[in-house]
Amino acid sequence: MKPASDHLTTPVTATNLQLLRQFEPVVCYTKGEQFYPMGVDHYIRDCSLWAHYPDGRDELLIKQGEVTPEKLVETRPAVFGTVRYLRFIEPLNLSEAAQVLANQTLLRHRLRNYFHAGTGRLARGGFLPRMADGLFSLSFLLRGKVSAATAAAAELDYHEMLKEEKKYVYYGRVTRQNNWTVLQYWYFFCFNSWRSGFHGVNDHESDWEMISIYLYEQDGQLVPEWIACASHDIKGDDLRRRWDDRTQLDLEDTHPVIYAGAGSHASYFRPGEYQAEVNLPLPDWLSGFLKAWNRFWTETLGQPAGNPLRIPFVDFTRGDGLAIGNGKSHAWSPVLIDESTPWVSRYRGLWGLFARDPISGENAPAGPMYNRDGSPRSSWYDPLGFAGLDKVPPPPIALQLLEKSCEKINRRQEEMDRLIPEKAGELQMLGIRLKGMEGNPHLAKQYNALTRVLNSLADEVKGLRRECLENSALLQGLTQQIDRIKAGGKDDPCAHIRHLVMPVKPGRVLRFENVAETWAAISLSLLLFIIAALIFFTPKYAWPGLAIILITFIVVESILREAFTQTIGRITLILAMIAALIILFHFWKWIIVGTLVAMGFSLMFQRLRELTG
Amino acid sequence: MVKRKKSYRKKRPIAVSIIAAAIIILFLVRLYQVVVPLIQQQVFINGISSPLFVDGSLTPLCMAIITSAVYLILSILGIIVLVGFLKVRRWSWVVLMAWTGISLTISLIDYFYRRPNYIVMVSNVIIAFALNQADIQRIFGIRSDDRETSL
Repeated sequence: MKPASDHLTTPVTATNLQLLRQFEPVVCYTKGEQFYPMGVDHYIRDCSLWAHYPDGRDELLIKQGEVTPEKLVETRPAVFGTVRYLRFIEPLNLSEAAQVLANQTLLRHRLRNYFHAGTGRLARGGFLPRMADGLFSLSFLLRGKVSAATAAAAELDYHEMLKEEKKYVYYGRVTRQNNWTVLQYWYFFCFNSWRSGFHGVNDHESDWEMISIYLYEQDGQLVPEWIACASHDIKGDDLRRRWDDRTQLDLEDTHPVIYAGAGSHASYFRPGEYQAEVNLPLPDWLSGFLKAWNRFWTETLGQPAGNPLRIPFVDFTRGDGLAIGNGKSHAWSPVLIDESTPWVSRYRGLWGLFARDPISGENAPAGPMYNRDGSPRSSWYDPLGFAGLDKVPPPPIALQLLEKSCEKINRRQEEMDRLIPEKAGELQMLGIRLKGMEGNPHLAKQYNALTRVLNSLADEVKGLRRECLENSALLQGLTQQIDRIKAGGKDDPCAHIRHLVMPVKPGRVLRFENVAETWAAISLSLLLFIIAALIFFTPKYAWPGLAIILITFIVVESILREAFTQTIGRITLILAMIAALIILFHFWKWIIVGTLVAMGFSLMFQRLRELTG
Repeated sequence: MVKRKKSYRKKRPIAVSIIAAAIIILFLVRLYQVVVPLIQQQVFINGISSPLFVDGSLTPLCMAIITSAVYLILSILGIIVLVGFLKVRRWSWVVLMAWTGISLTISLIDYFYRRPNYIVMVSNVIIAFALNQADIQRIFGIRSDDRETSL
């Protein structure tokens, strides 16, 4: 078997750095992006090191300007629950905040680095998701968050760093597991500005992103087979694409092209705008209730599934901004890392501000090797399992494993070919012996014992026959697979993907787009004003008034979204369920009586029809 | 010999018949609501003998006539929808569903704030559930795509 022609290979003797360089991705960013991958040394120097203790205290461990990679990894005993973190932007007072925000506007104007969202995310979701989004925004009043001024200051600081040294860095790691060679490209950003810059979910100081390439060895060459990108909450098989899948992966020579989300830096294989959906963090009892409701709604009422409390956020991954990598105007500066790199393995703290956000969205991430809680990061210690490749052998090994598996099954089939007639004969022998015992009461005890033996043997024979049949089918499948591999054929490259994340289709999203956008922006506030007016002017009718207004808003929304028919059906169904409960509450006795009488008549009708033929 | 054309009559689903029956019940209720205000004002005995407006405001007789007229319009609309429904027209499903939704909202407000009309409520519940049946939605061409709702 030979590697496919479009798999450009590299000799196994290549050094780790050569390997990384040969396949380093080209990463395309979106116009308006403010932060690009950088080296950690400069960043660390600009940070202060802090410790947050379980009693709520924060202690400055090393002042800004004095932190070095060596000092960062020094052992510092602390009580359980202590969070160590770097702080890139020091707290700003009101006038400083105003100053940095003004400077940020000037900087963007000077660089002409603007971002235009197009159809806003709020107009892309329905009315209820927008209400959930309102709650999400209000949750920042209770949760810790990174301020807009911090984001602005980070942007200004990063710009200064870039002026000093214009370098785009990735940290490369090469590891070998289960006959796979894994190339990991880790990208460090000093800030994630998804929320403040691109209407996203969160902002946090520092950001780590990763792309993995999986190669196998054949005839002294390393052949790329898979690529996986870290992207929000996507896990396992869905993360990876096959190297030869031109519908899902662009290649420039030996370099895959990856598109990074604006502000979030999440990686995608295709350019476009992705509707990332975030579930509201709900208490367990409410989640349980919603799950039960969803089951009733879909299974009992046959309605399409949906979660109105899922907030739509758009990950703008247009790829129309800066591109870094082979053949582009900006090149990568690679740095090798592994477990022996001190800041990788010995610093378990956060790489930016610990914002005390209980759901962690605004807290900075930990390094490439660790999670925020200091536990090992699975993408580091299990790069195969991370992309669902732990169960997938490299193609040359796959053939060997398949042949070995066939051999094993064939041996078992041969054994069964001998065993089944033998056991079946034995079963007949027992059957005839049992028959001979019938009619002899004094043999009752032996008869019962023999019956048990016979039943067990019958089960065994039945099981063997089933196994034999199943093995034949399995063998047929495996043989077909072997033939296909030998002929150089491949499976569907997307067969492993359960949920294929694709960008939303371009073009008109909504009817009367401008009206819809305006409506999306003001509808929630308008609803709050109307509720206030209802409570003030007609407190007696506040509840029905609220229900009518809410329904009206949803109907207006449905007209704009061209979903009037479906929406009206669902609203009516919900109202009917409320009315049905009221009727059940008042007339349960009549309903039971009526049901019993109807059942009685139905039964009588059936029986009489039977009687009369 | 001229071959006789075989006629294939499409069997009407039971849910359509149930909905039609519920619409007829509602029609009868509405018809009753047309007549009652007029009986209370003895219009059938005395005719429109007293003035409809006094000092620029409506008299009880005028109110009764308006109420009856509204219910009459509703009854006629009900019949039009029934005809469209029996002819399996998509618009009739949409109108009926919207109508049922409005009617259920009024019924629920009546239940919490005034005197509930359980017959109307039951009829509407039956219509709503029947109209939401997957088969019915397919027949009327409602369940042909999976476009999102604004809910």
